[in-house]
Amino acid sequence: MLATLAQAVINGLLIGGIYALVSIGVTLIFGVVKIVNFAQGEFVMIGMYISFFLATYFGVDPLLSLLVSMPVLFCVGALLQHFLIRRVLALGDMPQIFLTFALSLLLLNLALLLFTANYRTVQTAYSETAIFLGPLNVPVAKLIAFVVAMALSALLWVFLHATDLGKAMRAAAQNRDVAMLMGINPDRVFAVAVGVALALAGAAGSLLMPFYPAYPMVGQVFVLMAFVAVVLGTLGNVTGALIASLMMGVAESLGIQFVGADSGLIVVFAMLLLTLALRPNGLFGGWTR
Amino acid sequence: MTRTLLGRSGPWLAALAAAALALPFVSSPFAIDIFIRILLFAFVGVAWNLMGGYAKQLSLGHAAYFGLGAYTSTILMIDYDVSPWIGMLAGGGVAMLASLPIGALCFRLRGPYFAIATIATAQVLMLLFLKFRDFAWGAEGTTIPNLGSAPLMMQFEGKAPYYYIALALLALGLVITHRIERSWVGYYLVAVGEDEDAAEAIGVDALKIKRNIYMLSAFLTALAGTFYVQYIYFIDPNTAFSFNVSVEAALVSIVGGIGTLWGPVVGTILLEASSALLQSWLGGGHGGVQLTVYSLILIAVILYRPTGLIGLFADAYARIVRTGPGAAKEVPLDG
Repeated sequence: MLATLAQAVINGLLIGGIYALVSIGVTLIFGVVKIVNFAQGEFVMIGMYISFFLATYFGVDPLLSLLVSMPVLFCVGALLQHFLIRRVLALGDMPQIFLTFALSLLLLNLALLLFTANYRTVQTAYSETAIFLGPLNVPVAKLIAFVVAMALSALLWVFLHATDLGKAMRAAAQNRDVAMLMGINPDRVFAVAVGVALALAGAAGSLLMPFYPAYPMVGQVFVLMAFVAVVLGTLGNVTGALIASLMMGVAESLGIQFVGADSGLIVVFAMLLLTLALRPNGLFGGWTR
Repeated sequence: MTRTLLGRSGPWLAALAAAALALPFVSSPFAIDIFIRILLFAFVGVAWNLMGGYAKQLSLGHAAYFGLGAYTSTILMIDYDVSPWIGMLAGGGVAMLASLPIGALCFRLRGPYFAIATIATAQVLMLLFLKFRDFAWGAEGTTIPNLGSAPLMMQFEGKAPYYYIALALLALGLVITHRIERSWVGYYLVAVGEDEDAAEAIGVDALKIKRNIYMLSAFLTALAGTFYVQYIYFIDPNTAFSFNVSVEAALVSIVGGIGTLWGPVVGTILLEASSALLQSWLGGGHGGVQLTVYSLILIAVILYRPTGLIGLFADAYARIVRTGPGAAKEVPLDG
């Protein structure tokens, strides 16, 4: 019983690391640009397909293809901000919500057209191996994904706190107008913020590829998780999103273990609705980032 | 703008109604099927628009009420032999009741997070209906028993009767919207949609008015759900609570003209027509084409015409009226 519990917690934490990459991206864009990116999950999907095709046609290890998917998606993000998001920033809720929502629909359905709905998997040497710790087993691919995800999150934290651009980004997140008065160039900061967020989504995709199938709808799973984590972790709070993502991974895993295989999402949504009812400002409402 | 459109356009409206009534006599069953889809989704769009358009509460979870309507009437019909006509109203009632707790939760959030919370509620309902198999057939769903020609059980031979039911539903939705648009409720809704805090400051009970319009919107959406399963003779959670229903409800309103009487109708005709054309052009088996085109249209509308395409028609109409004989001269306010 205890071993089952511990195993479920481990599984949850490991996948929670991936959720963290996605939700940190969502919360970063929300914090800086004040837009909810409904298409974040589709960029995870694109990251997965990049890794899949590199692995299938060039034999590149999915973890190595991180070096391709991240820069590619960073550029996509900067262009997305410059050519699309920037144009709706002065408009109301409707254009802001439905622009990225339409983008999500577009990317998903283009993927369906181009790649069909088939599941694509990549087998690596470490896809099936696991480390055994007594009765517990830790799948190597998931462990690597978790460690890299945490390292990238730490790197982002350093970037936000130790570089001028990162500080400018945090300043813009705290008070956009004052930040602009201090001479921060919003176009540049916003483009970098969206770029970084998409690069994280791309990283999540590449990290998932050794143990998770790629298919056009795959992003929906991760983006729903991310939205819940972002609300739970307080909108715009990067650390909050990270902690909440790990919690959600564990909650989902416990739900699957103890309630039933198809109840993971119900547990997650129940958490969202409970949060809304009890702590609508998230668990970390009072904290600053 | 739409108000003047309707006010001055009695003859136009009569012609439109006559054309709509005559349509089944001149079209093939295939075409009628498309028209029924257009009428039904225009009606769902009109229901969504009451809340999403006028009060700017951008729900992406109206499938919740579509599904509740569908399941209520189907359970009543199969398990208790209750006519779907009664089940339809019961479904509307269930949807109204469900909208109260859902609204209580979701209205704590604004803007994008309201939209996300509504997605979550619809998904939770779908997951619940997938899980509770002894209560509602689980994931396999069920076919609706075909009783042949049984108008009292909302079953008919041929498609024309379904067409007229869908037309009646749409007319009902438009009349309700028109009445609301012209009453104080409409102004309150628009005030809440423009700036909730400002509306509260001048004495509008924003929460109450949002709750009430949400109930009405849920009720109407549920009627569409009942009709839809009666029409396709099949129900399962993925059909009844389909995310596509939530998306289409919002999309047709936005593309046509959010917060306008005829916007959802214009939007549905455009989107469904484009989808039908694509289908006949490409044939089947191209999953994703329809929504690819929808999303491209949506992006274009948001970037170039965020008030919706109905504005194009209204502008053209205004030009005709202004330049036509007997057109009213515009008098400056301070003149």
